[in-house]
Amino acid sequence: MKKLKFIYENGPHKWAVVARDPEKPGYLIDTNEYLVLNGSEALLADPGGMEIFSAVFSAISAEIDPYTIRYLFASHQDPDIISSLALWLNFNPDLKCYLSWLWGSFIPHFGGTAETFIAIPDEGMSISLGGLMLEAVPAHYLHSSGNFNLYDRKAKILFSGDVGAALLPPEENGLFVENFDRHIRHARDFHRRWMGSNAAKLNWCERVSRLDIDMLCPQHGAIYRGEDVKRFIDWFAALEVGSGIRE
Amino acid sequence: MEEIRGNSHAADLRRVVKANEDIKKVIRISSGVNLVALNAMLIAKRSGERSRGFAVVSSELRVFSHKLDGAMSGLGTLIFELVSDAAAMQKQRQEHGHLLAIVAQGKRMRELVAPALARVDERISGTVQEIGRDWQKLSLQLNRVLQLCETGGSLARSAKIEAVYGGDMSNILKQVASRIEETVNEIFSTLKLLRTQLAE
Ligand SMILES: [Fe+2]
Ligand SMILES: [Fe+2]
Repeated sequence: MKKLKFIYENGPHKWAVVARDPEKPGYLIDTNEYLVLNGSEALLADPGGMEIFSAVFSAISAEIDPYTIRYLFASHQDPDIISSLALWLNFNPDLKCYLSWLWGSFIPHFGGTAETFIAIPDEGMSISLGGLMLEAVPAHYLHSSGNFNLYDRKAKILFSGDVGAALLPPEENGLFVENFDRHIRHARDFHRRWMGSNAAKLNWCERVSRLDIDMLCPQHGAIYRGEDVKRFIDWFAALEVGSGIRE
Repeated sequence: MEEIRGNSHAADLRRVVKANEDIKKVIRISSGVNLVALNAMLIAKRSGERSRGFAVVSSELRVFSHKLDGAMSGLGTLIFELVSDAAAMQKQRQEHGHLLAIVAQGKRMRELVAPALARVDERISGTVQEIGRDWQKLSLQLNRVLQLCETGGSLARSAKIEAVYGGDMSNILKQVASRIEETVNEIFSTLKLLRTQLAE
């Protein structure tokens, strides 16, 4: 059963994660959905696939009025990210969805109308959540060619989408990375295969290492905290990506 | 059946969400009862002999608040199931909608998708039954909680009476008893309203 857990709380400003679900059938990739709250407004980052809509919706509703969700944020166009779109819109047709302009005519195949989407330009943009400023940080080609992370300067949290993802065995079900070296073994093949561009990777590492980050939150696997954030960026910088089908 | 397939169903999830919000509110309020009841017991202890009766009532209140906790967590579990089933229904309804769009294209198309439509219909009626059972269980539990609240209300009233004999502690005891009464009343009225809405 999916459950919502708070990972950051500062008055009305909160971050919560609907973390991966040990009971989910093995043929679906396990995902984390993140909720950014600021008072009576919330943004749901990577709402997930349609097969898990019911689990995500009920986990969120157990803690938060789902009507506070005003915005969806889709890091990229994959089905595990946003195929639940039509179901969310069915519940609340006024929802707005932020996504890369590149996928503006692709994602509507999952649902929504011209009014639903707010296109993010390649260079990124600021997103206001009840006055709290979030930033869509470019992460193109990691892995998707139109791809964004979401940075909260105040909470020092970077939602990193597929970057930092790890395909963990069921017994490693912690919310946070506890042992970096052991953890990163489960991230290696994912990054080598799904990430294609070493240039894009270095560019991302360079930009992201300049951000003040307490938590790096991927869409798959566990959250990196404190020193592990820098460890991850260094590890990623040194990894040869686009190399997953050799060997 | 048509009711459920049609637009009213999205509204159904909204209705479930509304009930969920009411229940969460009540659960939040009731978590305060424990503290108040504990407080009542401590005060009764401090005031000693002068408020023997209040001590008895306040320990009954402790028992009541534990029972209320249990009943509330039952309510929480049931509404969670309902939200989850109603959300699952959204997806089935969407599939149904896609098939209906094909059906609308004429007789040949209708025949073509008939088996698919029948499969979706079957799944939908399964979920409808499930949701019906969820509502039923929920309203049974609501009745239980309402009954419990009535007990709580009369306990609070006795506590108020006993507080009169509390000597110099009288005022504090009265305040505590009133707090409990207010809380129980608030739970009672929210749930009563919810029960009426469920009956509609
Ligand atoms: Fe992806
Ligand atoms: Fe993904």
